[in-house]
Amino acid sequence: MTNTPDNAPKSAILSPQDAEARVRASMATRRNRETRFRMWGIAAIALSMCFLVTLFGTIMSKGIPGFFQYYVTLDVTLDRERLDPAGDLSDQSLFDGDARGLVRDALFSTLQVSGRSNRKAAGKLISLGSDERLRDYVRTHPEQLDSEQSLKFALDDDVDSFLRGFISRDTPESDRRINDKAIGFIDQLQEAGLISYEISDYLFFGSASRNAEMAGIKGAFIGSILTLAVCLSLAFPIGIASALYLEEFAPKNRLTEIIEININNLAAVPSVVFGILGLAIFINIFGLPRSIPLIGGMVLALMTLPTIIISSRAAIRAVPPSIRDGALGIGASKMQTTFHHVLPLALPGMLTGTIIGMAQALGETAPLLMIGMVAFIVDIPGSITDPGTVLPVQIFMWADFAERMFIQKTSSAIMVLLAFLVVMNSFAVWLRKKLERRW
Amino acid sequence: MDNFNGIEPPMDTVGNIRVNNARIMCNNVFVHYSDKRAIDNLSLDIEAQKVTAFIGPSGCGKSTFLRCLNRMNDTIATCSVTGEILLDNQDIYAPEIDVVPLRARIGMVFQKANPFPKSIFDNVAYGPKIHGLAESKSHLENQVEEALRRAGLWEEVKDRLDQPGTGLSGGQQQRLCIARTIAVSPEIILMDEPCSALDPIATAKIEELIEELSEKYTIVIVTHSMQQAARVSHRTAYFHLGRLIEVGATKELFTSPHHKLTENYITGRFG
Repeated sequence: MTNTPDNAPKSAILSPQDAEARVRASMATRRNRETRFRMWGIAAIALSMCFLVTLFGTIMSKGIPGFFQYYVTLDVTLDRERLDPAGDLSDQSLFDGDARGLVRDALFSTLQVSGRSNRKAAGKLISLGSDERLRDYVRTHPEQLDSEQSLKFALDDDVDSFLRGFISRDTPESDRRINDKAIGFIDQLQEAGLISYEISDYLFFGSASRNAEMAGIKGAFIGSILTLAVCLSLAFPIGIASALYLEEFAPKNRLTEIIEININNLAAVPSVVFGILGLAIFINIFGLPRSIPLIGGMVLALMTLPTIIISSRAAIRAVPPSIRDGALGIGASKMQTTFHHVLPLALPGMLTGTIIGMAQALGETAPLLMIGMVAFIVDIPGSITDPGTVLPVQIFMWADFAERMFIQKTSSAIMVLLAFLVVMNSFAVWLRKKLERRW
Repeated sequence: MDNFNGIEPPMDTVGNIRVNNARIMCNNVFVHYSDKRAIDNLSLDIEAQKVTAFIGPSGCGKSTFLRCLNRMNDTIATCSVTGEILLDNQDIYAPEIDVVPLRARIGMVFQKANPFPKSIFDNVAYGPKIHGLAESKSHLENQVEEALRRAGLWEEVKDRLDQPGTGLSGGQQQRLCIARTIAVSPEIILMDEPCSALDPIATAKIEELIEELSEKYTIVIVTHSMQQAARVSHRTAYFHLGRLIEVGATKELFTSPHHKLTENYITGRFG
């Protein structure tokens, strides 16, 4: 440092002493930099953990209560005449019967209400689905007709929200969705010990409903499974076959290059575009019915194809060329080499890509909105050609509803969706472990 | 680029490129990778039931030429081969030739042992299975046993045929690959530096094996080790920058090389 080449001709390489001094001088800065970098790293991880914990915390704290709801136990007289006027227990006969009246009577006698306005207030306490629930009970227990049974009925979502404390007594009556009379009845039922907080059967076994207390995810869950099944059975074979052909058989020329670039670009196309494509081609040109899992699966297959092809090609490229040489060297044909050696070795990687694609497809909403899977469908789809919806679309719809109870149900549905994903991914990991040859 | 479609006279190779008992005859072979010439007008006979060694510095084209002999170069898209490589007076690069039966006749052992990630048995049985060489399960088992015996591996692995082939030691793996090749009953075995990754003891075993195999098979071996060429081969060809410089009986070539380049190489003065 003191000697410049001008005043003293000197070797450009420093003497060991000088070099050591310089190294030592620079050490403090270097250490500081390293410490600072570590701090940044820790801070970044802490922050992302914070977000993750907040996310899961919020979803769980809202979602877990959503798995439960309030029920009231009523002693219902299963009057044969009123329930089943035709006497044949047919759906029509039960429907013509007065299940609703029986439930209401049971409630009124429990609360000992009289007068039109009191009855009106009391009638609003129980879910609109109660008459259907009574009919279901009669269908499965016809031998109990003409007897009195203690049955559980869901409470209306406003009552549920009140019992959870979301609606305060202190709010002026005009500002709350539940009036003083109803609150009085609820207190009466609670004192009698008739209200219970239980796992919500509607959530798991119910279908879409505008009534929050009756809404369930079964329809969407089945819809998701059907859609994914269609998606997997289309995207997996097509994707693997494309990847194998492009990697192992296709000549390397301009055309295959263009195809490759386009597949890569396709992976970056916004998913809603695939929805528009599905709408234009499958529904408008081919005239397939809308809202069905078949089309949903086809659209999602288009969307997942690039993911599967890209990851499969990477997996194929990772197979050591020496294995191909070995097989070719003893006279295996191209196809034998590919199917006996390359495919089994690449399969775990291919499956990982496929599962990532499927997970994407499971969580996808936008393209399905385009093809009408957002329709309000109460029936649970029985096949891929029945109208249905899927979990993320169901979540999207519920998140849009104003009722307090839908907030919990939305979180619960998100938890179910996450659980679905975890199950799928664990299956993939298990399959991978099973297929992976460590030798 | 000059006209090389067999019109050009063979490059001056020192020594006799022809033999009486030729299994493969190569005439005016050129190999190009895109525009880069890797083999320059090479003519050479491979003698039947003898071991022919290719030696030369790295990048001299000896492996490239070896891979031409069973058309393993086909897998490289940019590689083009011209000239004649005759097996039974039939050019193996003729359009009507199918590489599958060709490679069953001319087997190959690679530089790095590459057993399949399967059991020892399945490794050896793979060739007979795909070519339909075994009439029954017991026939197949006999074939596997004999191939392993010929490769000198049977005694070491007979109790663990269902174990993975990749669990063997390097030398055993290479012998397994030789057994795998033998199981297809080839006439010619090409070996591309088969001992380059092995320790001296495993190398000695493979060399011993090559000597035994030369009674039944025509063997071509590429090697970096001149001692190995001297030990195992009957005939040696010296390559330099894509050209065949000198060829001759191994003893003669190593004791009295005629070409200056050959002399420099075998005396270790190459530079």
